[in-house]
Amino acid sequence: MKRRFPLLLVLIFGILGIVPYYIPHATYQNFDNAMRNDFLRILSAFAIILGLVSLMRVHQDKIKRKRENWQYSYVLIIGFVISGIIGLLGGVEGELFLPTKIAGIQFDIQTLYLNIIVPLGSTMFALLAFFMASAAYRAFRARSIESSLLLAASFVIMIGVLPLADRISTHLPSFAQWIMDIPNVAAKRGITFGIALGGIATSLKIILGIERSWLGGKE
Amino acid sequence: MPLIILFIFALAPPTGVRAYDTPDDGGGSITVEWQISSDDAMIEGYEIYRSEEGTDYTLAGYVGRGRNRYEDETEDNTQYTYQVAAIINSEKGFSEPTAPTASKPQLFDRGATILLIGMFVFCAIILYFINQARRGKKLFIRKITGLDAVDEAVGRATEMGRPILYCMGIGLVDYIATIASFNILGEIAKKTGQYETPLIVPTSDPVVYTVAREIVKESYATIGRPDLFDTDKVYFVTDSQFAYAAAVDGVMLREKPAANFFIGYFKAESLIMAETGASTGAIQIAGTDQITQLPFFVTACDFTLIGEELYAASAYISKEPLLLGAIKGEDLGKIVILSALAVASIIGLLTKFPILSLFR
Amino acid sequence: MKIIEYLSTLDRRIVYLVLATAVMLPLVIPSVQKVRVMTPVAKLFNAVDTIPNDKILIVNIDYDPQTLPEMEPMGVAVLRHAFERRIKVAVLSLYVQPLGLAKKALDQVTEEFNQRANSVADSIIYGRDYVFLGWQPPPIVPLLGMGISISNVYTRDYYGYRTDSLPMMRRIKNFNDVGILVSLSGATAPLWWIAYSQTRFGVAVGAGVTAVSASEFYQYYQTGQFSGLMIGMKGAAEYEELVESRLQLRDRRRASEALGSLTAAHLTMIVFIIIGNVGFLIRRRRDRRSQ
Repeated sequence: MKRRFPLLLVLIFGILGIVPYYIPHATYQNFDNAMRNDFLRILSAFAIILGLVSLMRVHQDKIKRKRENWQYSYVLIIGFVISGIIGLLGGVEGELFLPTKIAGIQFDIQTLYLNIIVPLGSTMFALLAFFMASAAYRAFRARSIESSLLLAASFVIMIGVLPLADRISTHLPSFAQWIMDIPNVAAKRGITFGIALGGIATSLKIILGIERSWLGGKE
Repeated sequence: MPLIILFIFALAPPTGVRAYDTPDDGGGSITVEWQISSDDAMIEGYEIYRSEEGTDYTLAGYVGRGRNRYEDETEDNTQYTYQVAAIINSEKGFSEPTAPTASKPQLFDRGATILLIGMFVFCAIILYFINQARRGKKLFIRKITGLDAVDEAVGRATEMGRPILYCMGIGLVDYIATIASFNILGEIAKKTGQYETPLIVPTSDPVVYTVAREIVKESYATIGRPDLFDTDKVYFVTDSQFAYAAAVDGVMLREKPAANFFIGYFKAESLIMAETGASTGAIQIAGTDQITQLPFFVTACDFTLIGEELYAASAYISKEPLLLGAIKGEDLGKIVILSALAVASIIGLLTKFPILSLFR
Repeated sequence: MKIIEYLSTLDRRIVYLVLATAVMLPLVIPSVQKVRVMTPVAKLFNAVDTIPNDKILIVNIDYDPQTLPEMEPMGVAVLRHAFERRIKVAVLSLYVQPLGLAKKALDQVTEEFNQRANSVADSIIYGRDYVFLGWQPPPIVPLLGMGISISNVYTRDYYGYRTDSLPMMRRIKNFNDVGILVSLSGATAPLWWIAYSQTRFGVAVGAGVTAVSASEFYQYYQTGQFSGLMIGMKGAAEYEELVESRLQLRDRRRASEALGSLTAAHLTMIVFIIIGNVGFLIRRRRDRRSQ
């Protein structure tokens, strides 16, 4: 029963999720809207709580058992509690009752977000440029005719997207655009078809209970 | 001057006005269409008037000039008639009234017919092959080099006495790539269990962590080695994308795994992890259905499973008949789509038949 | 030859250092680079420009801090375009994290316009000219719910006002009243708008995406499912170019300023790839000769 009930739920709601695309009648659409607007929102709220509780438990356990790098778990928990208090009691821009400005220094959630999270995220993403450079330098080799073609195409694209390209040749940006529009799209479209069909097949297997790995382990 | 001319000659109303129940909807809507006024370039727009069950006309809506369609909200099974007026300042040119029309809900969206047929055909194909597999028919799948290298990767790690890192990406538990990754994780856990090679599985979602932990535990139990399961090795890190990438990089630089598996749903962090792994000298096998990340994995990893090779991986490794049957069904589905594309392309090129409208 | 071989096996830290220098130098002296506007961006601009008076523009801002440098100039350029043409705008996010960034872009552009305004009619007023709808989880709710009723999905806006009480929203019911929806995302949000909203309700969709994910979106632009497409920093620069040239707006063009760094970075990578390949070919020829 422990495994059959989730499988039954998946079967019922899987089929119910497909039906609205074909039946426009208001009775069914209202039911579908209620599922998505109300039921799903409540589920999502609980999923957030599940994630937060799990996170706290993992780190509390780490501190309790003094596992490797347990000290950083304190950083996480303290940061979580402080930002939770500031956000819930201070409001997004300090409009609630907790004061979020001391001696001219603002620490409401919007300020913290814009001045801590945003630069941190941008920095991590910026690392990609360097990793791309080292990966390209290491791996882009003209080992064969196909890889030489790939290399030539990559040069055309890399130069073609720059304002400089117009000065080299007026046809270069158009040629780069053509490579992106035609051969690139043709290849990606082929992969997309395969992925879409694979997705449908896997979804069908999950709905019919053939694929059960998401339940965790085997029966 | 044009306004003066309009005043002298009276505003031309829209013509050919017709009202009909909006098709393929849940009711509550009537569509009003008309041919635009010959004075369209000079007018402000069109007002749509509605009369309910023979009562006086009231204003129902307004559209700007150049537009010839309006969908009105109505009550089902009530008769309405419409008039459309071209307006400029206070001058209005009224059309002839339409015939009475009522809206009602439809039970089936005819526009989705092709989609429904396609869905049934594809599902039937898959179920047919699953049935064939259940009856014991041998189904062939072509060689997938990346999956053949799994044994080599596990063997290498065992010889070097170093762990294996299995990274499932940042997908949630309902992502197809994550589910495919669960299958592969189970098989790799069994192989590593047989050789007693440590398996490290950092995850980025609490629910995925829970499922991954159960899968690894179950895999070790299946091969008779439940004692090998270590809760410290399968753990939840963070759901923040780049924080997760930083954590995985840290594991790779400290633990120096001999083999890295990147199987699942990845976004921009893919290259950060793959390139760091390449710098440690590990053999790397990647698989994702994210088209945008494939070039990065192909560049930085030794083997890459592209798109649906990832979905086929669980069938390939486990050789389970039901899974193989689904793969065969997908392949035939692709042949059906390609054939339809080829036929439609030829028809579209050689004739004037509006073949594309069938697919919209 | 030895120098070439040495250059083709450089420590990656040297590569990082050279790249960092090449990227930073053009930023020290910012200059606006003119760009040729390509068709996907021109189509998006025209699609926004020709929104009828009785319809609104929805801007879905779903970029996060990581993709901010590439995507924010797109959002700012589209908002400038809309406000200059007096197109009513509704801004929303499908996730919570981009909300702060959406607000930042709105605040920046409204301040630009209001500083120049001479009267209330010229100003950009909340509720009359634009609304910030905020966020409603999970993402599927606005994707499908807005086809029936926008006010039902966003009963209150980001600031807590009842959406149906805002002047702009009184005659806006659902996607039928939306001229185009422009989705700015570093992920696959534009595809969700197509798969759910456009398929069910026929709303026109345009997109602004990161350069690295562009290949995923081209096929949808080719089929006409996207009315237009901005790709990466260059796409943002092209839209900025159109806003300046067609609407005579001369505000700061961040994407266009950054193109100098983009050019330097690309050229640096090309040089390294060439050096790497020259070394590889020399080594290969030497190995073949010795065999």
